[in-house]
Amino acid sequence: MSRKGVKIARELRILRRMTAANIAMNLVYRANFAMFMVSNIAIPVISLLVWRAALASGARLPVGKEYLTTYFVILSFVTMATSSWMAPFLSEDIRLGKLSIWMIRPASMLHESIANNLAEKALKAAMLIPMVGVMWLLFADAVRVPGNGVRWLLFAVSTVLGAVLVFVLDVIIGALAFWLDDTSGINRARTLILGLLSGAIVPLALMPHWSQGFMRMQPFRFTVSFPVEILAGHLPAHDIAVGFGVQLGYVLAVCLLARRIWSAGLRSYSAVGA
Amino acid sequence: MQSIVAAPGAVEACGLTKTYTFHAQAAGLAGAVRSVLRRRYETRLAVDRIDLRIDRGEVVGLLGPNGAGKTTTLKMLSGLLYPSGGELSVLGFRPSERKSDYLRRISLVMGQKSMLWWDVPAMESFLLHKEMYELSTHEFDRSVAELAQLLQVEHLVDVQVRKVSLGERMKLELMAALLHRPEILFLDEPTIGLDVVATARVRSFLREINRTRGTTILLTSHDMDDIEALCSRVLIMDHGRIGYDGDLGELVRSIRPGKLVRATYAKPIPAGTVVDDLDGAVQVVEVAGEVLRLEVSRERASDALQQVIRLGPLVDLDVTDTDIDDIIRELFSRESG
Repeated sequence: MSRKGVKIARELRILRRMTAANIAMNLVYRANFAMFMVSNIAIPVISLLVWRAALASGARLPVGKEYLTTYFVILSFVTMATSSWMAPFLSEDIRLGKLSIWMIRPASMLHESIANNLAEKALKAAMLIPMVGVMWLLFADAVRVPGNGVRWLLFAVSTVLGAVLVFVLDVIIGALAFWLDDTSGINRARTLILGLLSGAIVPLALMPHWSQGFMRMQPFRFTVSFPVEILAGHLPAHDIAVGFGVQLGYVLAVCLLARRIWSAGLRSYSAVGA
Repeated sequence: MQSIVAAPGAVEACGLTKTYTFHAQAAGLAGAVRSVLRRRYETRLAVDRIDLRIDRGEVVGLLGPNGAGKTTTLKMLSGLLYPSGGELSVLGFRPSERKSDYLRRISLVMGQKSMLWWDVPAMESFLLHKEMYELSTHEFDRSVAELAQLLQVEHLVDVQVRKVSLGERMKLELMAALLHRPEILFLDEPTIGLDVVATARVRSFLREINRTRGTTILLTSHDMDDIEALCSRVLIMDHGRIGYDGDLGELVRSIRPGKLVRATYAKPIPAGTVVDDLDGAVQVVEVAGEVLRLEVSRERASDALQQVIRLGPLVDLDVTDTDIDDIIRELFSRESG
């Protein structure tokens, strides 16, 4: 095996060990975990009920009941699969000097965050998928997904890219703590902006007509809405191809930006505390 | 013709400097508002052009009051901080580059920061180190068994870390730090908060590791006993400078040759009580109520104590070396004077 291959194999072994340990840690606090799951699925369910009620009472929307129902059923899975919660934790680790314990060991400092993300998602998927299944059954009359396997494959790839995009954005936001003492305001803004512009709260198709051009190209669409649209929105092939190009472009851009910010940040790291 | 070249030291620093920049803010609401409108930045010199060489196998103590720059120095040596100036080489590497080959050869234990995951047994963290440092199963098992036996923690490696005591956790931290047999061990306050028994165990363990593995150890501590028990050499820092580099005993003897005696009596010491100065070997520092404080020369300490006992029934008697902070203060006041 080449030197690069050996290095990658080693990194993967470290990641596997960390993910296993993170799964073990999450299983210690079962009640806490169950509550997280309930709160995860609550927003899509409530949103779906609100929009269906609006349609039932005669609201004129640019999309129909089938689109909305399919959108929110798929959304309940995609929001979990692409979510990241590391920015406030990373900021705290930098601010309080906890990053030091990873910096003195021969492995990437982000391994722990990636492992934590993967571990929690693996556990969440085990609990969430049956819940999404129940939701699907309850609204089966209005759920319309393509039977085409290629669409499902594209959906899976796009969801993974969305997860990478959210995670790397979080690295950038968390890394601001290298220069700012308090990033809680930025974290709050990130949660609000991501919720609104990703389509996690309101489908982007329901946003004002004049904003649709911006909505289609802005980066947050590619964290949640785009994968959901692949299944629920019956996007034409051309729109999917363009969407993938833009999504990939955003992923590469944030990765490059994160790398620069991270390495500049390490130079400013003050390793607070003993 | 053969040239003689000095063997490279484990640590070599020349003019090593570190400055921190922070924003200064006056107390109170007005200060906070002013700070929002107009921020004032200040620079603080934490380490000031120090030169240093530590040879392989040495055990060196870094002493100094709070804010002296000792932890900052340790952080630069371990690669956590970028130096602001000067040259630094540890085992032939530039620590701030944090190369994997460098990080595999060192270890840093911070008394107040845990390398172990708290919600799972320590063995989970050890297994992570096995992957990180690419230890074979044989090497790993041998190292775990050897260290657990030396530290007497065989029964703790499978217990959730949050369930063990502070002293036991520190022993497990040391285990994690030494599994990969580092050539240099940096220790920042390794015995802070530990009880007497745990402290003694940790000290004897470190001595053993230095003796058997030849590990170079550099430690900071506020505890004079740690330094006395472990270090063949001390570096005393204050205001970012190294004020003394040498043997601790010699330093203490040269600055304060005496011992401090604090006697507490059952009744107040009568006015006019005379303490024989034993030809200048005893100096009365304070007489206050029931308490008598003396500074006595080491050679006449026994005579002085007999005199103290004869003065009346004692409740408490304490004989100590001069406080390290006093010695450091005196050392630096001499320098600046």
